[in-house]
Amino acid sequence: MIRKRILSAIAFAAVLLGTAAALSYAQGLDLIEPDTARRTIQVMIGLQLAAYANLMPKDAGRWRSSPLAMARSQSALRVGGWSMTLAGLTHAGLWAFAPLTLASVAAMAVVAAAMLITIGYSGRMLLACRSTTPQSRQF
Amino acid sequence: MSTVFKALADPTRRHVLHLLRQGPKSAGELAEHSPGSKPTMSAHFTVRREAGLVDSDKQGKTVMYRLQMSVLEEALMEFSELLGLNLAQRAQRPSSRATLKKASTR
Repeated sequence: MIRKRILSAIAFAAVLLGTAAALSYAQGLDLIEPDTARRTIQVMIGLQLAAYANLMPKDAGRWRSSPLAMARSQSALRVGGWSMTLAGLTHAGLWAFAPLTLASVAAMAVVAAAMLITIGYSGRMLLACRSTTPQSRQF
Repeated sequence: MSTVFKALADPTRRHVLHLLRQGPKSAGELAEHSPGSKPTMSAHFTVRREAGLVDSDKQGKTVMYRLQMSVLEEALMEFSELLGLNLAQRAQRPSSRATLKKASTR
């Protein structure tokens, strides 16, 4: 499982680096404009973020003895997965269609907001889990 | 992917997936809240597990189930729920052609 993940991450990185090199070469030959290369790479980064975040709720980890803790971790993973997937898609969409000045600021803001939502919600769930009595945590 | 579509196509299976959104539940709890007999529920669990939408673990005497859906799979479920609702509403509504035919025979 870990090996598969590492291999897919390496493959993703290779595709990204290969595309960047190809775009840079094409730009050097005046086949494409510098903006096109920048947009293409940013769209790919957005799609990659969406692809990884899409699988976030699927990886629930090991089974715990507390149903409450499991429900809260599942909830945190779902909120994180959804917010980061939507942020990735929005990032890609903005870099594909919005004017460059708007895309560079808005795409970053969207991803930062999604990260804040994910971290904030996870923290809230963690605190809620700690504040419950040990008796209610057992199966 | 076809196993995922198969798992999401059935309303009972979708209902159980909705229940599992609240958190992990035992097989008994899920059967209580769902229509259908226990063997039918067991068959549903097999389809869902094969599709990778749920994960199970035996804890003592009870088998616990939890949701294991990606964002895309969850979005597909919502979409099929919406589509299913629309189809059900359409099936309940008599079609305009049938109404016209009935009116003309009178």
